[in-house]
Amino acid sequence: MIKNYFKIAWRTLLRYKAYTGINIFGLTLSITAAILIFTLVTYQFSFESFNHNKDRIYRIVTDVSSDANLEHLPCVPQPLGKAFRNDFSFAEQTARIVYYRRVLLSLPQEKESKKFQEDDGVAFAEPSFFHIFDFPLVKGDPNTALANPHSALITESIAKKYFGNTDAMGKTLRVNNDIDFTVTGILKDLPPNTDRRQNIYLSYDNLKDWNPSFASDSSWPNLYSGSMCFVLLNKGVSPATVDKAFPGFVNKYYKGDDAKANAFRLQPLSDIHVNAEYDGRIDPKYLYTLLLIGIFLLATACMNFINMATAQALNRSKEVGIRKVLGSLRNQLFWQFIAETAIITLIAGVIAWFAAILLLPPLNTLTTSHMTLDLLSTGRTIAFCFIVFLVVIFAAGSYPGLILARFQPVLALKSKLSQAHIGGFPLRRILVTSQFAISQLLIVGMIIIAWQMHYSNSLDMGFDKEAIVTVPVPTADPTRMHTLRDQLRTIPGVENLTFCYQPPASRHNQTTDVTYDNRPHTERWEINVKNADDHYLAAFGLHLVAGRNLYPSDTIREFLVNETFVKKLGLSSPHDVLGKLIKAYGVTAPVVGVVKDFHEYSLKSEIEPLCICSETGRYEACSIKVNPHELHETLARIQNAWNGSYPDYVYSYTFLDDRIAEFYLMDNILLTLVEVFAGIAILISCLGLYGLVSFMALRKTKEVGIRKVLGAGVGQICWLFGKEFFRLLLIAFVIAAPAATMITNYWLRDFKYAIHPGPGLFLVGLLFSCLIAVIAVGYRSLKAAIANPINSLRSE
Amino acid sequence: MIKITDLQKTYRTEEVETIALNKLTFEVKEGEFVSVMGPSGCGKSTLLNILGLLDDPDGGSFIFNGIEVAHFNERKRADLRKRNIGFVFQSFNLIDELTVFENVELPLIYLGVKGPERKQRVETVLDKMQIMHRRNHYPQQLSGGQQQRVAVARAVVNNPKLILADEPTGNLDSSNGNEVMTLLTDLNEQGTTIIMVTHSEHDSRYSHRIIRMLDGQAVTENILI
Repeated sequence: MIKNYFKIAWRTLLRYKAYTGINIFGLTLSITAAILIFTLVTYQFSFESFNHNKDRIYRIVTDVSSDANLEHLPCVPQPLGKAFRNDFSFAEQTARIVYYRRVLLSLPQEKESKKFQEDDGVAFAEPSFFHIFDFPLVKGDPNTALANPHSALITESIAKKYFGNTDAMGKTLRVNNDIDFTVTGILKDLPPNTDRRQNIYLSYDNLKDWNPSFASDSSWPNLYSGSMCFVLLNKGVSPATVDKAFPGFVNKYYKGDDAKANAFRLQPLSDIHVNAEYDGRIDPKYLYTLLLIGIFLLATACMNFINMATAQALNRSKEVGIRKVLGSLRNQLFWQFIAETAIITLIAGVIAWFAAILLLPPLNTLTTSHMTLDLLSTGRTIAFCFIVFLVVIFAAGSYPGLILARFQPVLALKSKLSQAHIGGFPLRRILVTSQFAISQLLIVGMIIIAWQMHYSNSLDMGFDKEAIVTVPVPTADPTRMHTLRDQLRTIPGVENLTFCYQPPASRHNQTTDVTYDNRPHTERWEINVKNADDHYLAAFGLHLVAGRNLYPSDTIREFLVNETFVKKLGLSSPHDVLGKLIKAYGVTAPVVGVVKDFHEYSLKSEIEPLCICSETGRYEACSIKVNPHELHETLARIQNAWNGSYPDYVYSYTFLDDRIAEFYLMDNILLTLVEVFAGIAILISCLGLYGLVSFMALRKTKEVGIRKVLGAGVGQICWLFGKEFFRLLLIAFVIAAPAATMITNYWLRDFKYAIHPGPGLFLVGLLFSCLIAVIAVGYRSLKAAIANPINSLRSE
Repeated sequence: MIKITDLQKTYRTEEVETIALNKLTFEVKEGEFVSVMGPSGCGKSTLLNILGLLDDPDGGSFIFNGIEVAHFNERKRADLRKRNIGFVFQSFNLIDELTVFENVELPLIYLGVKGPERKQRVETVLDKMQIMHRRNHYPQQLSGGQQQRVAVARAVVNNPKLILADEPTGNLDSSNGNEVMTLLTDLNEQGTTIIMVTHSEHDSRYSHRIIRMLDGQAVTENILI
């Protein structure tokens, strides 16, 4: 019987090639998208899951409250790990790790001088780090490898990169031309799904050589974003128990306002990658958005299938009638139709699988992921495909199957069945409306994201971001800085330059307490400190609203503040702050000028109070305003000048607008994905509409013929087909518009400086949907309209 | 074999009520060949549908092989139908996607007959209908006469006690028509009861008895042998 089901199913599908083709194409597109989305989402949620103790691993994080703000920081004070280990017995292992980017590495033992700078930097780590995480060693003893000072662990890739085919064990790594480390172990390359990205681990004991004050047990007030502490809790210890112990811990190590402001808590390992409040790489709401889109796409394809199947059910009436006469039961007919659906879905599923494999590399590039789709390692994806397969078969096949099985044999045999007997027309209206609604939702979503991205990129951030190149300043040596400045100034394409901690908008910010004008207490909010020389304002086009610029200095002698700072102090005019003393970073100096507010981060953040002050020791960057017409030559000359000043270091440069674009990396990825998936949803809907209109045209052949004989024009005939769809389109709009408003408001909530979409946007969405409907419906209805009525009547 | 008493069937739409069968009563004995004749709309097809358990009567009694079947549910009707009744239609009603062999095999599949036995029985009946050489052809590749022979083969493959034929020669030329009537006569002679709806006086002469209907009632009966 089953063989018979599949045999007839196969032949039926071959007979109705257009129907089969449209369904396979639609399902293939949606299943491909579903596989890719599922792979992406599971990949993102799989971070750190390879650790066999993953359920007991936590990171201690810091919540700092100031004024009305609560800031979530992934880091902890450097001494915290040691104190936690000494004070509590909650954890089986506690590990401190401090990582630094932009670290120069050289190989003193090698004949050829080689220098490297790893994007992910290096980490000073306690040996217990490798007892918490499953990062196995391929060479060396995990118990002793990092135990001694001046020892280093490197990954296999780094070993190969630095030392080629020679054994890296025992070799020397020199860090920042200063501290030597001996390679005592080779780590297996880290899996792609971990956020622990450093490939070089150095003995934690040597942190004191790198930064003595930070490494001291008393450096509780310092919070550096690269300083973290991981714990492996003892079995049976709940994180809540540990969290309860933290307030007492805070009171022991902090006093006064600091004790009130700082709080610690445990963050589960599985939360780290997807918690954007701390340093999570991805906001889960993006993943849920994609999942929703995936469900939409599958639903759209299923709706198409149901639409087409019920529309063409009449063609099957004779066969169904005969089968019933010959003794077939309803359930047998139902399963026969399910078999047809299964074949279509299976074909679509197989094509989709290969399509997904082909499309995975570009998706990996887009999302900077390392996802794979091979049959052996992706059991979960295969299980997902199987579930999708079953869901699609039953979601798409059940209703048409029931319709067919319900046919009355007497009517079916005599071809007296009509659409009324099928009863699918109201359902089809609902389905087409749903498809329109989904398309409109995606179109409106796409427009809003694109608009906001354009707005973010084009909004005046309060400073000049065009044609500004930033190069690193690897050492705080003022002489070298002066040399570099002098050399850069001689380059014709260089218009201005400044040495600073970071450009005006940056991911890296430093904050500190501030005391204003001899007030007895520090303010209840922190300020962002931009260390920069006196050229900062000119190089970035920042405007003064009161006072004057800084005078040249290598140390903090005066401050510039921004307008928000003045407002936070409760002063009515920027002039009121001029000449007043403020204390920041332990230095008391006067405010000499107020700069117009500018954005220090992405538009997702509000402008915060800040100060600008000169302090050569903290400069990490040199930003150079260049003439864009001589860019290539200018960049080469900048590199020459830089290499002349810092011959021992590795040169790199970034454009400021690229760095700003990175703030919206995930939003841009989401935009690209939404564009692609919205396109797919629209295409599937178009195919479905085209199929429906084709069936309608076939059914209405006689009606069209009679109408034409009676004098109807082409436009009137086209409207005969179109009016139905446009009515549904409007109903869909009524459903989609509020849903789109809700969803986009939710997304835009993250942007402190957001667009305000008005009704015009939704009208654009509606017009776009109309255009799609015209394209899908137009051709087939026009064809029906211009057909010779004599032929259509004769064929009836 | 069949005894219907006061059989009634009325079709209702919103505004019109059509009485298709009006207290129809007659009996068909096992082994009989009965023709049902009458003008269009007299209720012949409705009668055939009810006899074939494809439709329910609104009232009256329908006894098939001693069992009252008038109010059987769909499952019971389908079961009784596939075991006891074969159908031959004017328009053949073969499934276009199945070959001659597969069309004839279909009733046996629904009866749950095992593969090897099915093959043997289908081949026997195809042989008997002299259509064996076309076993792998599709219906649209056959002439009308050949298609009707396949339809007859399909009707008899499960050895039904009753064959219901609805204008079996209506779409055939006289030569093919005669051939089909001869086939039905042969089957009847081998013991199969046949009830045939027809407009053709010529065809009706192959039967033992003619029931003439008008307005849902049997008005006359002609006994031919």
